Amino acid sequence: MIEAFVSGFWQVLAWPAFGYLLIGITVGFFVGLLPGIGGLATLALMLPFSYTIKEPVPAFCFLLGMLAVTGTTGDLTSILFGIPGEGSSAALILDGYPMSKKGEAGRALGAAIMSSLIGSVVGALALALSIPIMRPLVLLFGSPELFIIVIMGITFIGTLSGRSMMKGLLAGGAGLMLAAIGVDPQTGSLRYTFGNLYLWDRLDLVPVVVGLFAIPEIVDLAVRGTSIAGSKPEKLTGVWDGVVDNFRHFWLVMRCSLIGVYFGVLPVLGANVAQWISYAHAVRGLKDKNAAGKGAVEGVLGPGAATTSTRGGDLIPTVAFGIPGSGSMALLLGALLIVGLQPGPEMLKTRLDVTFAMVWILIIANIIVCGVCFLILNQLAALTFIRGHLLIPFLLFFVFIGSFTANNSYGDLIVTLIFGVMGYLMVLFQWPRPPLILGVTLGKIAENYLWISTAAYGAKWLLFPSVVILIMITIVTVAYPTIKERTGRARYERPGDAI
Amino acid sequence: MKSTALLLFVFLLWHPAAQAQEPFYKGKNLTIVVGTKAGDVYDLYPRLLAEYWSKYIPGNPNIIIQNVAGAASLIAANQVYNLGKPDGLTLGAIYPALYFDQLTKRPEVKFDWTKFNWIGSTVRSNHLLYMRADTPYKSMKDVRKASTAPKCGATGTASTGYYMPKLFEETLGTKFDIVAGYQAGQDIDLAVERGEVQCRAFTITAYFAREPFISWRKRNFVRVLIQTGKKRDEKLSDVPTIYELMDRYKTPEPPRRLTTVVLAAGDFGRPIVAPPGVPADRVKILRDGFAKAIRDPNLLKEADKRQLEIDPTSSEELESLAKEVIAATPEVVERMKKLIGQETK
Repeated sequence: MIEAFVSGFWQVLAWPAFGYLLIGITVGFFVGLLPGIGGLATLALMLPFSYTIKEPVPAFCFLLGMLAVTGTTGDLTSILFGIPGEGSSAALILDGYPMSKKGEAGRALGAAIMSSLIGSVVGALALALSIPIMRPLVLLFGSPELFIIVIMGITFIGTLSGRSMMKGLLAGGAGLMLAAIGVDPQTGSLRYTFGNLYLWDRLDLVPVVVGLFAIPEIVDLAVRGTSIAGSKPEKLTGVWDGVVDNFRHFWLVMRCSLIGVYFGVLPVLGANVAQWISYAHAVRGLKDKNAAGKGAVEGVLGPGAATTSTRGGDLIPTVAFGIPGSGSMALLLGALLIVGLQPGPEMLKTRLDVTFAMVWILIIANIIVCGVCFLILNQLAALTFIRGHLLIPFLLFFVFIGSFTANNSYGDLIVTLIFGVMGYLMVLFQWPRPPLILGVTLGKIAENYLWISTAAYGAKWLLFPSVVILIMITIVTVAYPTIKERTGRARYERPGDAI
Repeated sequence: MKSTALLLFVFLLWHPAAQAQEPFYKGKNLTIVVGTKAGDVYDLYPRLLAEYWSKYIPGNPNIIIQNVAGAASLIAANQVYNLGKPDGLTLGAIYPALYFDQLTKRPEVKFDWTKFNWIGSTVRSNHLLYMRADTPYKSMKDVRKASTAPKCGATGTASTGYYMPKLFEETLGTKFDIVAGYQAGQDIDLAVERGEVQCRAFTITAYFAREPFISWRKRNFVRVLIQTGKKRDEKLSDVPTIYELMDRYKTPEPPRRLTTVVLAAGDFGRPIVAPPGVPADRVKILRDGFAKAIRDPNLLKEADKRQLEIDPTSSEELESLAKEVIAATPEVVERMKKLIGQETK
């Protein structure tokens, strides 16, 4: 065991593996920064290049190294421009972008990068440690439990909308409705497709997220006519300050990392969901409830850690069962087969060193990218002081190119525009956007798991102990603030119109 | 003087009339429109082919893969069929079961399956149905007699996981409860591990190539009840085919015809098509090139490495198969609608 652990380390650092790792990191760095173009699509494009690499560890250095850093650099775009660099970085916008507007971009970036690093290390260690208990971990939750978790997620986010909890829940419901667009998997009937083939496949998340979050920010920037950080360029707040924030809120970062790991392990759910759950968790713990959404560093630390730690979690079912935990892992599984490895219990016995090499790749890739980021963070933060008029053309260009690459379809551009307008109106009338996004993300999953649960167990699943417990947690979460307020024991301040 | 003659000679060589002798595909881009996202198995085959095909097409065109994903490759099929200029420079790699949509008269279908110029298919696929071994269903006979039907997992109604068990119901009188809605095949396997569902129908190739099936077979976790090939697969020599069982249970003619039409999708495999109207000589070039490329030893070696099975279907066979399935009687079509979850009135 120890031998394989050490051997994995040296295999990653050996030549040419390390060279491939650097190439992967470079590609992933830019893919992460650019909005829309995601890790999954890039992995698919890069897969053929890995065919020429004969050895497993160098091939993984290239692919996994690339994937590992996209989440990290995606956070940077979210913080600097309010545009999600990756689908899984959208939650970083909520508090990260307001920090940039306050001139605290440096601190936000420092906090995000450091929390990403911690998250990735936790994810990697979880992968290493969970090898003996992988099976029960993955099999713990069936469709009924997953359905309740999904509902719980939407409810959590909905209740975060402070005084307008009803608005939050309604936005979540609207998201669920939007997710109904497309071919219904149970009967094959077409819902809300209006004879349009593009709509058969449901709304793609990338154009929806980019439209909803990026367009309103760009419009806002144009209207204000200043730079992102406002007209008065103060001294940059320190990157180091953000790094230290991670240790001020160390346990928060750890908890959010673990949330990420577990959402990575669960099938279908992944970084896209984990970011919001951990954001909700982070913001709930704020002492000043009104600070959320106005640039609280906790709102950056939580999702920053969770998105990178999902990578480790994702790998657990992929390696243990040969069952991928997410889309990108399904592609990685293909790569495993090509280099002649059969993921699953056999591989853990015969090539444990490769598994540990993966752990090391996750860690080393993130250390390198963090190092690079720290070198250029101050320059990046300076971008927020460039006049908006100069930035906007570039931002718009990347927003639409990014959306278009989701399906190479003009439909993506139209969806971006529609959700851009919708996002702007929501900001204007103070409706929260995250519940809507979460509803769209989880709608299909919720529907499917509800259907599967009912088809497989009838109504009996509602009485499963695990399900009952999860339902109770959900109810308590919703009711707690109200009850506390009524009893008046302590004046409980709800979070402001944070999100 | 000499140099002038040489110049003239060079000029003549470059003259269009001289170039007319050059192969059509020289210096051109040949685009394959793939109906899935990059990285899907339906995408991996054309990408593999693209690396070797050019060598066997006179003029050695540059082959480009373009992914037009969506609606189970219906978007790509419509696009390729209705090209403004069918010049033989744009081909499609589409799903084999799209003719279901034409037969059931979906208004979105903008092609005629029989009028595609069929180039070839890289692999045909037969299916099997596995069942958890700790259930009382040891054979299809047990499923026929069972008072409660076993639950089979499926992704959507257009997937084999859905319509294969339905087909067995139609032809063999077995009853299956189909639980549809899983995100991907692997999620069904996980649900089988967990005991949420007990069975799944999918391709024989995948069953022998991947985890978790390798470990499952080792610990006798599942058993295979039926396979859909005309002959028994040599790796599944003790598993009856649907045809044997239809003989045993004396299946009448109409369901048998349905079986032929539905299982033809497996023979279409992973087809490459050209739109109607492409000049016949170019179609021939493409077909001949495909037939040679798919037997290229280097391609086969590479396919083996990437765990992509190769079992080609010829263009002639695809062409006659297309005519055969589209000629299905209205009765068969009605049965088919039921099979893929469309309500019949």
